[in-house]
Parts: sequence; structure tokens; C-alpha cells
Amino acid sequence: MDVVIALGMNGIVWGLIIALIALGLSIIFGLLDIINIAHGDFFMVGTVLAWFVLQTTGNYWLAFFIVPIIGFGIGALIEYSVIQPIKNAAALSIVATFGLSIILQESVRATYGAAPTRLVPPITGTIPMFGLEYEIYRLFAAAVSIFAIALFFGFLHRTKFGTWMRAVRFDPEMATAMGIPARKIYMVTFAIGFAMAALGGVVAAPITTVDFQGGVDILPFCFMAVIIGGLGNLEGTVAAAVMLAFFEGVMASFFDPTIARIGSLCLMSIVLLIRPHGIFAGATR
Amino acid sequence: MLELSNVQAHYGKVHVLHGCSLKVNDGEAIGLLGRNGVGKTTALKTIMGLVPATAGNIAFNGTHLNKIPAHKIAGEGIGYVPQGRGIFPSLSVKENLEIGLAKAPEAETLEHVFARFPRLKERAGQSGGTLSGGEQQMLAIARCLILKPKLLILDEPTEGIMPILVQDIRKEIAAVNKTGVSILLVEQNIKTALKLCSRIYLMEKGAIVHEAATDELQEDKETLYRYLGVSV
Repeated sequence: MDVVIALGMNGIVWGLIIALIALGLSIIFGLLDIINIAHGDFFMVGTVLAWFVLQTTGNYWLAFFIVPIIGFGIGALIEYSVIQPIKNAAALSIVATFGLSIILQESVRATYGAAPTRLVPPITGTIPMFGLEYEIYRLFAAAVSIFAIALFFGFLHRTKFGTWMRAVRFDPEMATAMGIPARKIYMVTFAIGFAMAALGGVVAAPITTVDFQGGVDILPFCFMAVIIGGLGNLEGTVAAAVMLAFFEGVMASFFDPTIARIGSLCLMSIVLLIRPHGIFAGATR
Repeated sequence: MLELSNVQAHYGKVHVLHGCSLKVNDGEAIGLLGRNGVGKTTALKTIMGLVPATAGNIAFNGTHLNKIPAHKIAGEGIGYVPQGRGIFPSLSVKENLEIGLAKAPEAETLEHVFARFPRLKERAGQSGGTLSGGEQQMLAIARCLILKPKLLILDEPTEGIMPILVQDIRKEIAAVNKTGVSILLVEQNIKTALKLCSRIYLMEKGAIVHEAATDELQEDKETLYRYLGVSV
């Protein structure tokens, strides 16, 4: 039973981190109609940058602030150089972001190296919870993810720029006619998507490994969350990520992790058979 | 105020505007009429920079609109109410109203708009998509007025509106015009256009083919029938 509780809790924590990453994927898809195959690699770049900050400064906490800022900058640069030229060509976006994915992975392999590294969490120790000793860092990771997700929704719903993002997402032409700089909104949205994935990388690096292929596993999970949550539905994406990871965590306590992943895919297929537009489709956009 | 000189526009390879020329003077209300598909909406979108002008010139108070980014055109003093109203359904009425402003409006400005459109005040927190067609049209006009435009461009503002509310929309447009705001109106409802406008341009195949004062046009049954297929 302890294993089920532990893996279930790990699933929720992991689900919150995935939610943070998948939110970025969802806003990029919702606003720019870009199917971003490189999104998992944005996460991987976040883990590598976190490692780099730790190596350079000896202080992991700095990574929580510095890496999202660097991610924002890289995201803006990628939007300008890769995404902008292929805007309005969804099929081309798959090819372009696949190429971007290879470039990011190979750049990391050429500089950081091919060997995976484990990072020591900045908070060590355990705390008694539900009759077992649970890692404090995992609870901290969940708290940071919840805080970042809340901050994102606050930005989206309480600031002028967030309102503009929602307007451009619905009708870019009308938004432009009302004086909204849609071009700038696209760039900032993509950059925010990268920054969120990179922050997810900083949060997750001490739980998982720092590896140039670290994003490969994350990407399908993020896509599953976005699809089950209802394409472009941000709140649905968060809920679906947590539900999926919890489901997979509990499954993993009874079966092999591969079987657990197959279970998640089956769950997604069932959801799509019953509700082809996702569980939360038609809620908010 | 606004002058289009031999403006041409394309959708891809399709040539839509074939040298469109028209003029709107200060405080004037102008109608742009024509059958479906002659390029009226494209002409308005070209003024707003949403369809690029491939030739010709669009001047507004000395600024060449076809040479500035589309999102800066509203800031020049042009409000645009598109066909279908263009309300953002997931944004609240208040968010829709303030969408074109870089920062929150002064309370006085907001109260002024709400005094004019009391229904919008009652529904300020509601999603734009939950309003009726007439209320959405009021919102579309109000969010332009909050930007204090010099020219208001309206594309079929009475389309899809309950007949009982058409009169209200007409009154509102006339009231806006009386405050000195120029109007450029595209309408399928000929009576609305003839009532509101002092001058009418008739369009066919992407070009202006006839221009006349409203009174004069009302008497010219043959022209009305030839270009609009109606007799008033």
C-alpha cells in the first residue's frame, strides 16, 4: 500500500510539473497554431541550464530565477527566426520544430556531453506523510509548479497583456484592427512557452536526470495532456496532466512503467472515443 | 480626412480591388453600397491594413495608412466595426470595451460610455459571447468610441440584428456622427444607408462606379436598380 501511496504522490508532483510544461505547449498551439515537436527539448534545455547555473555559481536557487529569463530570451529568438517565417503553415511547423528539436539536442550533446547526470536537490530530507517518509524537495517542486501555474493564469486574466493574448488567440485580425500588436504577442507567447518549459526543467532536474534526450519522454506526455484536456483549453491541460500522471503513477506501482505508459495511451484513446475534443472541450478558451 | 486614390488589393492571386477611389470629409457620413462580392468589405479591410494595398494610396489626415503597420491604424483615429461585430466572446464586456487601450481608462471615460450604453454597464462582467446581437453591436461601437476616433468605419452594422433594434443602431450611428465623428458605412440595408448618409458611393467589380448625394440618388431609380438591383 505504501508503494501505491508513494507512487501516487510522485504522480501528482510529476503531473504538476508536466502541467507547467504542457501549458506552454498549449498556449503556443492555441495562439500560433504551431505543433511544437521541440517543446520537450525546451524542458531539456531548462534542466541543462539549471546544471550550468549550479556549476557556475554553486547555488541552485539562482536557477529558478535565471533559467526562465534565459529561456524567455531563447524562445523570443526562436520565434523570430524559425516560427515567424512559417506562420500559417501548420504542416510545415512540424518539420521546422522537428529540425529545431534535433538542433537543440545535438547542441547540448556537443557542449554538455552525452552522459546523463543526477543533481542533488537543493533541499534534502524527508517528512512523514500518509505513514511514509516523503521527500521534502518533491513537495517543494509541487509548490513551485502550483505557484508558477497560478502566476501564469493571473497574468493571462488580470493583466492587459494577458487580455491581449486571449484576444489575439481568438481573432488576430480584429485584435490588430483594435490596435493590438499581434506580432509582438506571438513572440512573447512563444517566449513564455519556452520559459515555462525551462522552469519545469529547473524544478524537475533534481528529480529526474539531466540528459540531452531528456525531452524525448516528456513530449508525448505533454501532448497527451493537451489532447485529453481539450486542444487549446489551458485549465483542461492542467487538470489532464495531473490526472494522467497520477493514473500512470498508480499503474506503475502494480505494473512495469512501460505497461503504465501503455495504460495512459489506452486511457487517452478511450477519452477520445467518448469525447473526441477532449474532456474539457468547450469550457474556456 | 480620408482619401483612397486608385487603391488595388489582392487575395493571393485574386484581384479584388481594381483602383478604388473615394473621399470622406470631416464630419461627413458616407455610404459605400454595392451588390454582394463587389469588394466593399475588402475596401474597408484595406483601409484598416488587414488586407495590404498592392497599389494606390490611402491617406488619413496626412498619414499614409498603407505605409504604417496595421495595428497602428486605430491609433491614428479610426474605429472599425467589422461585419459580424468582431466581439471577443471569452472576454468580459469590460475587457472588450478596454481592449484597444494600453492602460485602464479614466473612470470618467468609462462612465461616459456606460451612460450612452446603459445595457453594457449592467452586463460589464458578463462574457461578450453571451450578449444578444444588438448588444454585441452596441459593444462593438462603444469599444471604438472609447478610443475617441475621428472616423468610424462600420461594415453592415444592422446585419443579423432584430428588426426592432435596427432603429436603435441607426439612431446611435446618427448620434455619433452628430458629435463630429465622420462615418464610412457599408450596408446591404439600403434604407439605413440612405437615412444616415449624405453622400453615397456605388461599387462594382472592385471599383467605384457612381457617386451621388443621397437625395439625388434616391430620385435616380435607374442607377439604384442597375447597381443594387433594388428600387427604393
